[in-house]
Amino acid sequence: VSDLARLEVDGTGTRCVVRVIGEVDMSNAHELGRAIAQAVQKGDTELVVDLTETAYLDSAGVAVLLRLANRLRARRLLLRVLVPPEAPVRGVLELTGATGMFDLISRLEPAP
Amino acid sequence: MRRPGAPPQASRRGRPAASVPPSLPRTTGRVRVSSPVLRYAGTVVLVGAAYYASARLGLLLSLVERNVTPLWPPTGIAVVALLVLGRSVWPGVAVAAFLVNAPISAGLGAAAVTAVGNTLAPLLAATLLRRVGFRPEIDRQRDALAIVFLGALVSMAVSATVGSATLAASGSISWSGFWPAWTVWWTGDAMGVLVVAPFLLMVVGLVRRRTTLRRVASSWRVVLQAVFLLLLAAGVAGWVTRHDLRLLFLVLPIIGWIAWRFQQPGAAPAALLVATIATWAAAHGPGPFSRGTLFERMLTLQAFNATVALSSFFFAALVTERTRARDDLERAALDLEERVALRTSELSAANRHLRREVAEREEAERRLGQRERQLAEAQHVARIGSWEWMIEDDRVSWSDEMYRIHGFEPQEFPVTFERAVSQVVAEDVRRIRQNVEAALRGGVERSLPPSEYRIVRNDGAERVLLGNARIQVDASGHPVRMVGTVQDVTEDKRAEREHHIAETLQRSLLPDRLAEIPGLEIAARYVPATGGMEVGGDWYDVVPLPRGPVGLAIGDVAGHGLRAASTMGQLRMALRAYALEEESPAAVVARAHRLTARLLVTEMATLVYLVFDPDTGDVRFANAGHPPPLLVGADGSAAYLEGALGPPLGVDTEADPEEARARIEPGSTLVLFTDGLVERRGDSIRDGLDRLRREAAAARGDLEELCDDLLESLVGDQPDDDVALLVLRPVRIAVTPFHLRFPAEPRVLAPLRQAVRRWLREAGADPQQEHDILVACGEAWTNAVQHAYGAGEGVVDSELRLLGRTVEVIVRDEGRWRPPSGDEGGRGLTLMRGFMDSVDVATGPEGTRVRMRRRLEDDGR
Repeated sequence: VSDLARLEVDGTGTRCVVRVIGEVDMSNAHELGRAIAQAVQKGDTELVVDLTETAYLDSAGVAVLLRLANRLRARRLLLRVLVPPEAPVRGVLELTGATGMFDLISRLEPAP
Repeated sequence: MRRPGAPPQASRRGRPAASVPPSLPRTTGRVRVSSPVLRYAGTVVLVGAAYYASARLGLLLSLVERNVTPLWPPTGIAVVALLVLGRSVWPGVAVAAFLVNAPISAGLGAAAVTAVGNTLAPLLAATLLRRVGFRPEIDRQRDALAIVFLGALVSMAVSATVGSATLAASGSISWSGFWPAWTVWWTGDAMGVLVVAPFLLMVVGLVRRRTTLRRVASSWRVVLQAVFLLLLAAGVAGWVTRHDLRLLFLVLPIIGWIAWRFQQPGAAPAALLVATIATWAAAHGPGPFSRGTLFERMLTLQAFNATVALSSFFFAALVTERTRARDDLERAALDLEERVALRTSELSAANRHLRREVAEREEAERRLGQRERQLAEAQHVARIGSWEWMIEDDRVSWSDEMYRIHGFEPQEFPVTFERAVSQVVAEDVRRIRQNVEAALRGGVERSLPPSEYRIVRNDGAERVLLGNARIQVDASGHPVRMVGTVQDVTEDKRAEREHHIAETLQRSLLPDRLAEIPGLEIAARYVPATGGMEVGGDWYDVVPLPRGPVGLAIGDVAGHGLRAASTMGQLRMALRAYALEEESPAAVVARAHRLTARLLVTEMATLVYLVFDPDTGDVRFANAGHPPPLLVGADGSAAYLEGALGPPLGVDTEADPEEARARIEPGSTLVLFTDGLVERRGDSIRDGLDRLRREAAAARGDLEELCDDLLESLVGDQPDDDVALLVLRPVRIAVTPFHLRFPAEPRVLAPLRQAVRRWLREAGADPQQEHDILVACGEAWTNAVQHAYGAGEGVVDSELRLLGRTVEVIVRDEGRWRPPSGDEGGRGLTLMRGFMDSVDVATGPEGTRVRMRRRLEDDGR
């Protein structure tokens, strides 16, 4: 997506997994959100955004995730955000109260 | 003045008087008389005595009475005495004549008159002979003629007339007998002169010329022959004059023979002898003279005597003349021969000289030719031609090389000034003409300023020539000739231009400003070689990579000049692209291998590429045949990074470079360089590397000083080869307040985070603290960028410092802080407050200032 971060998309079944590798700030957040949204295929029921390898995420990234959650909800899709307990960005999500807006998970369950 | 009795002048034969000794003493032999008067008196007496004696002898031959003889010797003696001794001796003649005539004359008066006549006749003869330049030798025909006609026939008419008249007047003879008496007298006197005088003169001459006499006498054959011939003549004469047979002419061949054989010295005695015999015969005996009248007898006798005398004189004179002419001719021939010999020797000397000169000239020409050949060769090697312009007749001489420079065979055509400049391009011709005209007007001998001009050869090639010229003038300042040289500098100019382009290109290809990376000091140098004309292909680059690391490259493209410089530029740009795409240095170098081998086929290049992560101090590198980087620790230790060394670029398309790792602690220095820094003539590269290690380990001060010190100590002012040098040093930034000033743009946020992340790490923050503070900083910066300036350009000022174990972050902007708008703004502030211990936002007229603090737990977390 940019020098700062890249995406890895893994679509199996009805669940789409997008790994965000790198850093997300105001310079690339908007672009990143659109790219994630485009990764969702017709028929998918679930989008997992994996922030395990995201080194930096600030309020701009949080805002993108929240906007994404709203859009997906309108399409009756479920957004889950994967953040391991030890990941640095977990604190950002918790502090901003974003956890109430989407499903924050610590690990990825096997696809149904 | 002539004193009486002084020796008479010699005859006019040109002989100096002093060299002519008085003849009389010599003739008389023993008489020595010192007084001139006595000598004169003695001479006169002797002459008189001789006259008298001969007169008595002559009277024995008289035909008429007793005083007229057909042969009267005294006249001959008188003439000779007057000729040889001078006319001053006439008294002797006069007295003797008187004494002779006194007893036989009619009286003393008659005797005296006769004596006067007898004296006047020889005086007249001597005077006439001297007047006509008579020579006593009688060796010329004119002398013979003179003595016959003037000395004998003319002069003796005087004595004959006087004597005959006296005889008649005194009654001794009748007047009718005058003419016969005159005739006898005249012929007698004449015969006396003709017969006696030559003989006496001959004797006198022989005595005077003693050498001749001795020579004649020394040859007994000659003397014998002379005696024989004289005897023969006497015998024949005696015989023919005593017989009636008229065979007188038989004497003549003998006379002629003698005259021919001995000339006057023989002819005179012979004539005297024959005439005496004939006269004696006529006076006393029968024979041819005994018949007829007295007159007839006299006539016959005198005719015979005259014939003998004349024949002998003329024949002798003729032969003498001929002989002398022959002698003269021989002498002339001899002289000519001598002169020819002399001239011949002169000529042969001149000839030898000439041959030597020719040989020397040939040698000189050979040397000149050799020198000319050497000059031509030197001109050919140096591509310098020379010329000479004779201004007066506009002749230009070009050296062989001049023709070659202009694209012709040597000496292909004659050259004039116009021909010489005909190939020069138009704008340069004008300049050359101006220079030449100024020089011609100058009137002084001087050099023209060196002039660069272009010519177009017949094959269309343009050449650049450098001309030097000098003008020479004569004494009056009139220009005579110009000489000069022309050098083909086309290649030099091309090389110079290429060098300039290459250097410009190389400088433009090297980074003119190194990337500024927080926490990393970098310095670099590029020094072109000064020895050669061409720049090299040395290069370096610093590439900031995404997410923090820095790519560092240094390389050397083989070759020099424009081509190497342009190859270097391509390689550098390619490497920059590869560095951004590939994280691994080995992968980057592998791609460089393929590029070089496939696209830059003719070049070989070395390269070392490193990726340094300032966050960790880790460095990974791959080396393609380049001198290893040198790592100098803060403690002064120094070691080369010698791992991961592979072949140079351009050798192996399929090269699989290795990768090595090292760690660069803050305060350490990494030195990247090209071989120009460590190669020195005469030293091994190992020595150079050792020297660099020592110098770098000992160096103190910042990186700029380090670069200068290394170049100065290792290379000096005159590098043989290009030198590229790149040094970098990570520095601890936490120890001092970390001040950042950056444009208010979103793209700067990531590098800022990178720098702050390092600072925090070095300040002792654990990863969670580092993350938290970084997010808080990011939110503060984002607010400043988003809200403070809108679309305009602004500057954000940020400062981090460590207060004990507490990190303080201050972010200032010059805009107005707006209250957080919407959820995002609120979230930012929420995050700042959530992650930091305290957050203080102050908004004033000059802008907004956010101050945040976070205490670092000692144990991390």
